[in-house]
Amino acid sequence: MSVETRPPQAGESYATSPTVRSVWRSGRGIALVGVLAVIAAVIGLLIGPDRGPARPLDPDDASLSGSKALAELLRDRGVTVDRVDSVAAAAAKAATGDRVLVITDTAYHDEFALTAIPGDRLIVGDLLGLPVLAPGVRMEPDFARPRSREPACGLPAATAAGSAYLGGPVMRGPAGATACYPAGDGHLLVRFTHGGGVTTVVGDGGFMTNQRLAEDGNAALALNLIGTGKPVTWLVRPDEPPALDLPGEQGRSMHDLMPGNIRWAVYMAIIALAVTAFWRGRRLGPVVAERLPVIVRAAETVEGRGRLYRARRARGRAADALREGTIDRLVPRLGLASGAGRHEVVAALAARTGQDPQQLGAVLYGPPPDHDAGLVALAGHLDAIERQVIEP
Amino acid sequence: MALTGRAGLLAALGIAVVLFAPRPGAALAGVCLLLAAGILVDLAFAGAVRPLRFHRSGDTLIRLGQRATVELVVENPGGRRVRGLLRDAWPPSAGATPRTAAIDVPAGERRRIVVTLAPTRRGDRSSAAVTVRSVGPLGLAARQGSHQAPWTVRVLPPFLSRKHLPSRLARLRELDGRHPALVRGQGTEFDSLREYVVGDDVRSIDWRATARRNDVVVRTWRPERDRRVLIVLDTGRTSAGRVGEAPTPMAGAAPTGGGLLAGPDALPTPGWPRLDWSMDAALLLAALAARAGDRVDFLAHDRAVRAWVSGASRTELLSSLVSAMAPIEAELVEADAQGMVAAVLSRAKRRCLVVLLTDLNAAALDEGLMPVLPQLSSRHLVLVAGVSDPRVAAMAGRRGTAEELYDAAAAEQAQLGRRRITARLRRHGVEVVDAPPDDIAPALADAYLALKAAGRL
Repeated sequence: MSVETRPPQAGESYATSPTVRSVWRSGRGIALVGVLAVIAAVIGLLIGPDRGPARPLDPDDASLSGSKALAELLRDRGVTVDRVDSVAAAAAKAATGDRVLVITDTAYHDEFALTAIPGDRLIVGDLLGLPVLAPGVRMEPDFARPRSREPACGLPAATAAGSAYLGGPVMRGPAGATACYPAGDGHLLVRFTHGGGVTTVVGDGGFMTNQRLAEDGNAALALNLIGTGKPVTWLVRPDEPPALDLPGEQGRSMHDLMPGNIRWAVYMAIIALAVTAFWRGRRLGPVVAERLPVIVRAAETVEGRGRLYRARRARGRAADALREGTIDRLVPRLGLASGAGRHEVVAALAARTGQDPQQLGAVLYGPPPDHDAGLVALAGHLDAIERQVIEP
Repeated sequence: MALTGRAGLLAALGIAVVLFAPRPGAALAGVCLLLAAGILVDLAFAGAVRPLRFHRSGDTLIRLGQRATVELVVENPGGRRVRGLLRDAWPPSAGATPRTAAIDVPAGERRRIVVTLAPTRRGDRSSAAVTVRSVGPLGLAARQGSHQAPWTVRVLPPFLSRKHLPSRLARLRELDGRHPALVRGQGTEFDSLREYVVGDDVRSIDWRATARRNDVVVRTWRPERDRRVLIVLDTGRTSAGRVGEAPTPMAGAAPTGGGLLAGPDALPTPGWPRLDWSMDAALLLAALAARAGDRVDFLAHDRAVRAWVSGASRTELLSSLVSAMAPIEAELVEADAQGMVAAVLSRAKRRCLVVLLTDLNAAALDEGLMPVLPQLSSRHLVLVAGVSDPRVAAMAGRRGTAEELYDAAAAEQAQLGRRRITARLRRHGVEVVDAPPDDIAPALADAYLALKAAGRL
């Protein structure tokens, strides 16, 4: 076979990889935008306020959950507010005179050391070690949703302030305690005398935050509770929580035992990994995509129909199909026209095979079988009839 | 650019150096600087990839199942030796080997690489790209770049049914030389006069010639030559269904045998699309008709004309047919029978034999061809050829459990629909050939020969 029509062939080869210049030309706009974004971010970081993560109820935190507004109010009234983040610092302040100790967090503080500090206390929230700090205060299992509540008690600090935004765990004070802001079976503010000072426990510090201070009598309540004229020691969560290194033998942690070279070797290993990844990851040329023809077997529709029959146990339809197929094949062999009726077919068939016309009629045109075994038997009968006609 | 395994190894050695150095920080900086310096030196002194030139030569046309050899000549006009790897990228179904080749081309010289293609399906396979990775003198880093070196190999249908051609040609000659039936038909022409032999039809005696001679003389007729045959290939969705067993492994087909799937529940291999079997049959018919002196045209149509071959001379008919068929794929759209009939009527002005290769799918034909068939069959002789599915026939014969009987009933229904549409087509005066994939080509050739012998063309 001589072949003369040829597919088109082009001549010369040409490079398709981008040159350094073309990469620079197409990418310089994006690079410029990126550089500008980095510069803007750096400037923003340099001139913007130093905002760390929110520190709830911290007198230095100006965020919504901080308490800087309250601390400033106290300072305006001539009250000294000292923020401390350790028990030792608090004890050192306490040694200078009679002070009020505000405790907002005890997660990293030793509550037994705290009890040794004399003076008045304000304990905010359901803190760890509350039974030690405020003995006799019982926590009920209920939890009151924070909302504006009426004092409903005789405590001047509370009645003067009026309604305040309070919630948190419901408490019951020890005998002789003053309790305000009732909720459920107990109260949300308990004040009692303990260890030579007045201890006040409130269930929730929401009313002291910058966000809520201006609402209701929140500011008044906070000022009445804290601003009694004495200097205030405000104990907060430590700025840097102590590391959780568990010291081993001789008090040395794993970090101390590791040679200094290891850290540098890990850096080098990361670089080596990056180099290896670049070596393995660089593809030799483009991925070639191809539009492949679909693969669908032509028999799939027939198989699907068979499965539908099977799933629905469609014996009627299956029997009809088998019978019609057999009759369709038999009719030309019996010498009948394609539109032959039931009686003609049965009569011709009876004449050819010598079988009982009644029986033949039942096999070819009878009711559908009512169980699967009947269908199998029907197929056997149909095959037998067909065999007899084809091979007399 | 690209890095090599040697760079990775150097960096890994650096870990040990840093681990045992007295000043690890300085050692880390030293190792990194050394590595960076080596990479820069390599990039600077590696042979340039961009100025490389490529020239191709080799096969452009092969049949499916054959191998093509394409040569790629790499010319290095630059000033430095280019040493490294080359990848000649082809589509996956082109079956190109080797995938990558090591090259070493000194400055100003050229080297040849031979790529062998073993395509797994029909159509045009074009080279995608040539990529060269040129490694520097230290072997740490390489320059890399791609080029287009266009080359297309057209993979033609394999025409497997040509093994049937000699026997059909013999029958054609027999038909030609035989006192063809002595029956004068529509498509016969006067051939010659010869002496009467016992057994000849007395009606064919030429009395005028007999009167001039002492012998009784009869007229002989032969099938008329220069009839027209138009082969129409339906490339719609029904032609995408795969039937039978693929004579050559096709791209995307599941691997046969072995593996976890092998077993009684394993799906059978999907075989060849109906389209490819139809093409095979069309090629045999075209070869036969061309030898019989008929003019063959070819049309592929689904919703638009996909290919049209007309007026090809007898010698170049087959090559132009396979070339036209090669890029045709089954489109997953319903074929537009009305458009197809319009295309046929506008192209075939004189009466001809229209061979329509499609699927005898009752639903698809009812919607599409049946309403417009009279337009076609009133002007032309129509022959519809469909490839049946041997798997359906096997399913219809299943007996035993009730589950198998449900499958058999479904298959029986499908076959019944096929027989009924065949009967309806015949009532319209249309010839129908319905055969399994292995037999479709000879069956279609036989049907053509029968029509020719009967003088119906």
